[in-house]
Amino acid sequence: MSSPGKFSFSFSKFPEGGLILVIIALGLLLALFGGSVQLPKFETTPDGKRARVFETNASGQKVPAFETVNKFFNARTIVQIAKDTSFFAIMAVGMTFVIITGGIDLSVGAIYALASVSGALVLSPYGPSGGAVATALGILVTIGVGTLLGCLNGAMITGFNVHPFIITLGTMAIYRGIAFVQTNGQSIGGFPEGFRQFVRSEILPGLSLVPLIVMIIVTVVGGIFLSQLSIGRKIYAVGGNEIASRYSGIRVGRVKLLAYAISGLAAGIASVLSLGYYGAGSSGDGQGYELNVIAAAVVGGASLVGGKGTALGAFLGAVILQMISNGLVILNIPQNYSQIVIGAVVIAAVLLDQFNALLAKRRLLAKASSIKKEVVRSSDTPVSLKPKTT
Amino acid sequence: MAFLSVEHISKSFPGVRALDDVSVEFEKASVHALMGENGAGKSTLGKIIAGVYTPDQGIIKIEGQEIKPTDPRIAQGLGIALVHQELAFCPNMTVAENLLLGGFPTKAGFMDWGRLREKARALLHEIGAEIDVDTPLAQLTTGQEQMVQIAGAVGVNARIIIFDEPTSSLSTNESEHLFELMARLKARGVAMLYVSHRMDEIFRVCDTITVLRDGKHVATEPIAQTNRDRLIRQMVGREVLMKRPKHLDLEPGEEILRVENLSSTGKFENVSFNVCRGEIVGMGGLVGAGRTEVATAIFGLDPRATGAVFIKGQKLPLGNVNEAMRRRIALLPEDRKRAGLVLGMNILDNVSLAHIDHFSHLGFIDTSRELTEVEKLTKRLRVKAPSLDTITAGLSGGNQQKVALAKWMVRDCDLLIVDEPTRGVDVGAKAEIYELLDEVACQGLAILMISSELPELLNLARRVVVLREGFVTGQLPHEKFSQEAVLELMA
Repeated sequence: MSSPGKFSFSFSKFPEGGLILVIIALGLLLALFGGSVQLPKFETTPDGKRARVFETNASGQKVPAFETVNKFFNARTIVQIAKDTSFFAIMAVGMTFVIITGGIDLSVGAIYALASVSGALVLSPYGPSGGAVATALGILVTIGVGTLLGCLNGAMITGFNVHPFIITLGTMAIYRGIAFVQTNGQSIGGFPEGFRQFVRSEILPGLSLVPLIVMIIVTVVGGIFLSQLSIGRKIYAVGGNEIASRYSGIRVGRVKLLAYAISGLAAGIASVLSLGYYGAGSSGDGQGYELNVIAAAVVGGASLVGGKGTALGAFLGAVILQMISNGLVILNIPQNYSQIVIGAVVIAAVLLDQFNALLAKRRLLAKASSIKKEVVRSSDTPVSLKPKTT
Repeated sequence: MAFLSVEHISKSFPGVRALDDVSVEFEKASVHALMGENGAGKSTLGKIIAGVYTPDQGIIKIEGQEIKPTDPRIAQGLGIALVHQELAFCPNMTVAENLLLGGFPTKAGFMDWGRLREKARALLHEIGAEIDVDTPLAQLTTGQEQMVQIAGAVGVNARIIIFDEPTSSLSTNESEHLFELMARLKARGVAMLYVSHRMDEIFRVCDTITVLRDGKHVATEPIAQTNRDRLIRQMVGREVLMKRPKHLDLEPGEEILRVENLSSTGKFENVSFNVCRGEIVGMGGLVGAGRTEVATAIFGLDPRATGAVFIKGQKLPLGNVNEAMRRRIALLPEDRKRAGLVLGMNILDNVSLAHIDHFSHLGFIDTSRELTEVEKLTKRLRVKAPSLDTITAGLSGGNQQKVALAKWMVRDCDLLIVDEPTRGVDVGAKAEIYELLDEVACQGLAILMISSELPELLNLARRVVVLREGFVTGQLPHEKFSQEAVLELMA
């Protein structure tokens, strides 16, 4: 939550520090035990194209060159993981807004699919020759549909005063159903080439970093929104105590509506990336994503009770889950086990969080006697209220 | 030898040493009061004896035999019962089901409804309460609900009963029932511990008084050897005087609030009164008379309210909190944990919550300005806490109330409605809150004060409006104040 005064990097002030440590530990583990792999070597030719590098072997033949790299710790694998993470991480940041208000959005996967299909239906008629206008329109429609569907969730939850679990459970089926009806279950592709090139554009040679960059922007903007804006403070307050918020003049309904709209917006942004990256959209997209997204937010420290969670945490939570999922492949453990491991990680993360809270309580206890003495001594004048951090 | 004794008990919680080497002896067939400011450790001591908490150090003895109530169930087995503030029941189940929640009587695994009712009736009979055991708990009054709780706690063989602020949510009538019950239990030889803030009750029902301060034992004296002032001195460690408030000597200014025929179906009807600048108007009445409901309706929290509310002569649209706040009305709610504070947030966030936009520029919070202004307020209100980062859940009742009050002092208001401003607040903080209310009234605020504590109402207010069952039954000016006059209008 917002911390007054200067930022201090003690663990109690910076809970995401633990998540970063976990990521570093996972990275080390994968780098050490993942072994190495042979990858074909590429080079950039003078005309900007990428081509295989050939070398002459001992017997004088020209053969394609390979390089030996660490299976995990190489740019391509890391960018691959980042790309896989980006869809979940973006939605997890949005989901965190909802979870902080004490709600839940089960429909993110369906929003992702319907936004994706809507965008595809706009983009597809322009065909591969479509220009910048078509691309912009497609992006706008995809993001707009996502936001609109989120707004609808929020409006129904606050308007009907029904638990968000029920409303979003319903819309999860409805949104995906609409996507299916719109497309007859067919995958829709054939987008303007410019759009695909934009999303897949290689910022560094051989590495398309757009999803990664969008993910970072979403996390930073989300983080600023929650910690620096007054509306962010209101989101925490509504989740912390809805009645007290109402008594403080906060328009609780609007705050909640906004949270669901942001969750929808995030799903829309994620589907733009997926449309561009995979070049097609279908009603089956994002099946089961809601669980991964909620899991990422929870691993990142969001509490389903409300009032707790950060954008950075959600991002890091998504990274951890994706690293584990990809890590199993790198460690040659069958992919089939990934669900079991991820499920266990979610539970372990929550237990760890509770254990952490217990430790914090103990630390406070240790300080107790000294504080108490101070209060007793100055029973007529209050103790200084300077925050610890200054 | 004492019937029950605690020896050198110490207990710490995060942020506070709740009990520090406390030794007290309790006798059979007597009511022993535990008094002290909030955070003095009286509830903690009761809960340790009842097995809710385990002491860090010290021992508990019954008739010289050491006991170790590490669990409420073990304590119950030893005949120790705790009646506490938080009523923990399943509202949708019947009285009988709730009473035997811990062990339903069964026949071959099936519920034995006959024996369930019979047992429940026996328990209620034990304490002389007449409640239908088939009523769903949600349909009982708070007082009846508490009777059920007492029946369940006392069981049939309780030797020691700890009452932790039992009357805090009871009406006068219901409290009387409780006192009668305590007299009966006393006649049966039960040892009772009575934790309460209410002096009048203590002097009525208790035989011995133990005072705790900051977790330490201050004094244990028979009731005959002590008096109110002495007790307060022991509790606070200094004198607290109910001074004549200064605002009474100033002339009230123009009318700020005028309420005309304000009604809300089932809550209150045709309520009319006014409050002027520089005036504290008290609002008295029994629990359930509709006082809180009137306050929340003025603040725009009752969408069904009808009638008219005028602020400085201008009509206020009802049912809109933000409009009420724009017209400079503030409300300190009755239940600060439910409606006054976001307990999981720190002091800073709570104080600035209602006016967070006031601290913001283009939506961004100006943290340094927020910090300076909030710090100024918490200093002025003497909030005692290690820092503004402190989570409000861990503060004492008095400090929580000051934080909830500070929230409405971030910006100047014209009308401040305070609902039970000193409920569950210790004596020291009470005096500070009285002083503060007097001070802001002198500065020209109009204050509407709802209170169930007559002395506070009569001392602080210029006029008292009395409600009974949703109707205004009368208005008394300061010159005509007497407990009897107000009580007559109330009941």
